[in-house]
Amino acid sequence: MSEVEGTPEGPKIGADEWVARSEERTGRRGGPFAPLVARAEQLPWWVLLVAAVGVSALLPFVSSSEYVIRVAVNTVLFALLALGLNVVVGWAGLLDLGFVAFYGFGAYLYALLSSSQFDLHFPALLSVSIVIVSSALLGLLLGLPSRRLVGDYLAIVTLFFAQIYVVLATNADRITFPWNDGPTDISGGPNGITDIDPISILGYEFGSIRSYLWLSLGVFAVVVVALQFINHSRTGRAWRALREDSLAAEMMSMPVNRLKLLAFVFGAATAGLTGTIFASVQLGVFPQNFDLPLLITVYAMVILGGAGSIPGVVIGAITINVSLELLREPSNARFLFYVAIGLGLVTLVRPWRRLAAILVGLVVFGIVAYQLTEWLRPAWVSGTIEGGRFASVLDGWVIHPVNSVHLGNAGFVLLIVALLALTEVRGIWRSILLVPTLYLAAFVWENRLVVEPSVTRILLLGALLVVLMSWRPQGLLGSSRVEIV
Amino acid sequence: MDWDFFVQQLVNGLTLGSVYALIALGYTMVYGILKLLNFAHGEVYMMGAFAGFGVLSLFGGAAGVTINVVLLIGLMLAVAMLGAGLLGVAIERFAYRPLRNAPRIAPLISALGVSFFLQSSALILFGADFRSYETYEYIDLATGIHWGPLNISVVRIAVILTAVAMMLGLTLLVARTRLGKAMRATSFDREAAAMQGIDVDRVIVATFFIGSALAGAAGVMVGLVFYKVYHLMGFLAGLKGFTAAVVGGIGSIPGAMLGGLLIGLSEAFITGYVSSTFQDVFVFSILIALLLVRPSGLLGKADIQKV
Amino acid sequence: MSRILELKGISKAFGGLQVIDGLDLHVDEGEIVSVIGPNGAGKTTLFNLITGVYQPDRGDILLEGESLLGLLPHKITQRGVARTFQTLRLFLNMTVKENVMAAAYGRTRAGVVRSILRTPGMRREEREISALAEEKLAFFGQRLMGYRWDQPAYSLSYANRRRLEIARATATGARLLLLDEPAAGMNPKETHEITELIAQLRTEGGYTILVIEHDMHVVEGISDRVVALDHGIKIAEGTFEAVATDPRVVEAYLGTKAAATK
Repeated sequence: MSEVEGTPEGPKIGADEWVARSEERTGRRGGPFAPLVARAEQLPWWVLLVAAVGVSALLPFVSSSEYVIRVAVNTVLFALLALGLNVVVGWAGLLDLGFVAFYGFGAYLYALLSSSQFDLHFPALLSVSIVIVSSALLGLLLGLPSRRLVGDYLAIVTLFFAQIYVVLATNADRITFPWNDGPTDISGGPNGITDIDPISILGYEFGSIRSYLWLSLGVFAVVVVALQFINHSRTGRAWRALREDSLAAEMMSMPVNRLKLLAFVFGAATAGLTGTIFASVQLGVFPQNFDLPLLITVYAMVILGGAGSIPGVVIGAITINVSLELLREPSNARFLFYVAIGLGLVTLVRPWRRLAAILVGLVVFGIVAYQLTEWLRPAWVSGTIEGGRFASVLDGWVIHPVNSVHLGNAGFVLLIVALLALTEVRGIWRSILLVPTLYLAAFVWENRLVVEPSVTRILLLGALLVVLMSWRPQGLLGSSRVEIV
Repeated sequence: MDWDFFVQQLVNGLTLGSVYALIALGYTMVYGILKLLNFAHGEVYMMGAFAGFGVLSLFGGAAGVTINVVLLIGLMLAVAMLGAGLLGVAIERFAYRPLRNAPRIAPLISALGVSFFLQSSALILFGADFRSYETYEYIDLATGIHWGPLNISVVRIAVILTAVAMMLGLTLLVARTRLGKAMRATSFDREAAAMQGIDVDRVIVATFFIGSALAGAAGVMVGLVFYKVYHLMGFLAGLKGFTAAVVGGIGSIPGAMLGGLLIGLSEAFITGYVSSTFQDVFVFSILIALLLVRPSGLLGKADIQKV
Repeated sequence: MSRILELKGISKAFGGLQVIDGLDLHVDEGEIVSVIGPNGAGKTTLFNLITGVYQPDRGDILLEGESLLGLLPHKITQRGVARTFQTLRLFLNMTVKENVMAAAYGRTRAGVVRSILRTPGMRREEREISALAEEKLAFFGQRLMGYRWDQPAYSLSYANRRRLEIARATATGARLLLLDEPAAGMNPKETHEITELIAQLRTEGGYTILVIEHDMHVVEGISDRVVALDHGIKIAEGTFEAVATDPRVVEAYLGTKAAATK
């Protein structure tokens, strides 16, 4: 076990004796969840699936809040997206940045087939089937010219495609076709398509939000089963081989280009399917539902959970979506922030003496800073912090001017500098620098970030991706990979 | 044939082309050395534009410029280039350097993260409103060349000339100076260059600085010519700058210049003659078509992979 | 005895450098042919040409009489040619057994749909692939058996990784194996084992083998015939004794003066 702070434990290469020590094998996961994961790994995957789906299905009986159930449905949808992206990025190793365009395509197509836009009201099963096939075809169309592209080019081309999709969706309300008089409204433009039919299967109409929860859980279960089966088949092995070393895979009889295309198509189809559920739950689709912030959210879920691991990306989806929901409401966001910081400190700062010293130092620092500011510049502490359990405590501790924008911005820049400096210093200096940095973080959070949740979420997700890649690229549940570059 | 309109699009294209060329240079230089697509490059350009705006506000704002206009623009460029250059260096150091030996996908994802982080930072720091350089307030746009169908304001002339000058400077730097030689060697074979005693880290930092500085300059230029500056401007400009770099041949400096020019001209003519809402779609199609037909670009060399 | 592999007048240039020039080579069924030559002689390029990584500028490559030109590498492998790599290219994060099972892709047919539905045909195929992998791994004695099957490939020792790569190549169903420096980096004991292994591949496995090697002990121990290349042309061909003492070969390896003293 590594004792150097912050050094990730890598797998031991080439040491046969390692192999004989099988208990250490589960230890290689590392991270804060190691004992739990080790126990969970012993269970067959379908047990975990049944447990997860079963527990989630009971949610409507635990909470009658429509909001909570809606969040749950969104989480399941995100989990589906993460699973689809996992196939493309985690298994085949293709950096597809246009993934959400397929999601949007699926949603829009379903909307066109089952709404009053063109007055088509296809039965749900038919619409969904059409969407799945069309999404797959679209994936094929995009994938064909892309398959010979190396990772970087593929990323840009797909990113461009995602952008194009939004442009098209926003502007396809005024296309003039030669066979129609006047412009045709295909996509509803910026106002999207509303008044979408709810899904009804075999006569049962999914109307309430709880029925949609069960529907999406059902779809989720089917998709997970399908993915597990594929993973243990020749296609799954070929995808993973392709990610490992595509040249060697090609030389070992695997048709790499075709496999890449297949992964692409599969991801597209999954995204399209998820889009249909989204459209029918929302009862409306708009271009801004499928923009780049969504893309980065799904990527963060996949990377955080561990690209390549089915349970990993699901956990990633749950963690991030729940966190993002909490961020919406300042009092919840506040709670989340401090809990996260607390957790981070507890897991990363060892031994406990150092942790205690830092916490005490932080509290003292804050008190001193606040008192000093109150004495020298009382205007700077005249604002109030409200909302949530900690608010009253924080009100007397964090500097909070009424007009916090400029000061907050300055603090923001200073915070970034401090964080970067933290990565450069070591030892005792790091602990010392940590105290003002943490205070600064609280300051920036209370004054700028907590009140602009939509921006803050992207900020945090971006930072999360950078930090994950440098510190723990395999995410929470992935296993560390050996890469020969 | 409406020559006025044609020439106007031509001028637009040249101006846009200069800007895209400057952005493309940053992409191509970094790719040549690190084989990395610096996604965050577009955001550096955006920050440069904001930095220039900051200088403008510092000296009285558009309506009440307190110093000589030429000096003002010089300062804008200087500050933007310096700031952007430093930002680029910081990005390399914190987001890419730890991943030098990681598989290709890792720095790409990190770059994606940086890109979004910078965009949202800009949103937090500067807000969602557009800022405008309002160049017409302190420069009389009527001055310039007006000769027959050719109507080009002094601002555009200055922008094009400055861009050309910068590109010339870069070409000279790469061809004649020791640093340039080191850059060429490192982009050819990083390990061999290190073994020859070249400080590869320093070369990389210099490359990022220069490429980002050029992008920062491009940001100011766009502000001067097109006025609007906003936190999302880096994304699309970055994509097109990348397209330009690929069209010209990624890794090739003259290629980036040529590519920038071509993309700028294409965009101007497509916007003018075909459609302005869907111009992105057309540029995208150009990219796809080129990648299918000639993936190494116009001036690039095909990559030989040793097995 | 039929001709498994035939190269006729193969030439390949990269940029201005002529890497292979007018090369004729053949391998008969059941033969073990070694290709030797100093570094840069074009040996690995030869393998790359045969397996379809590059296309020759001129000439033809025939596998059992049929041309391989223009075929994608995975198709060539499916036709019956498999190789190992000079710089080991295993699927490191996959298990030992999965590495071998993956290579059986070209011989199997269950598609995505059948995999999702777990049709009886697909399940039978999976069992066959699994048995095949175990069989191929068993060839190497106990080294890659039992608990080793589920270990990630990166945990293997160097020599075992070389063996795994050979096992993987055999799982493709190929009849012609191209081994690129199989003994590279091995100590004398391991080298001796590899020599025996290659011989066993021929006698027990029925493979036809084309080997690139630098270690003359191995070459001497296994070869029916040796081909010496230098700067892309064949400078000698024959038994090991004949080639090893051929002055042109000595010159290529050791320089003109050494050749003069022979």
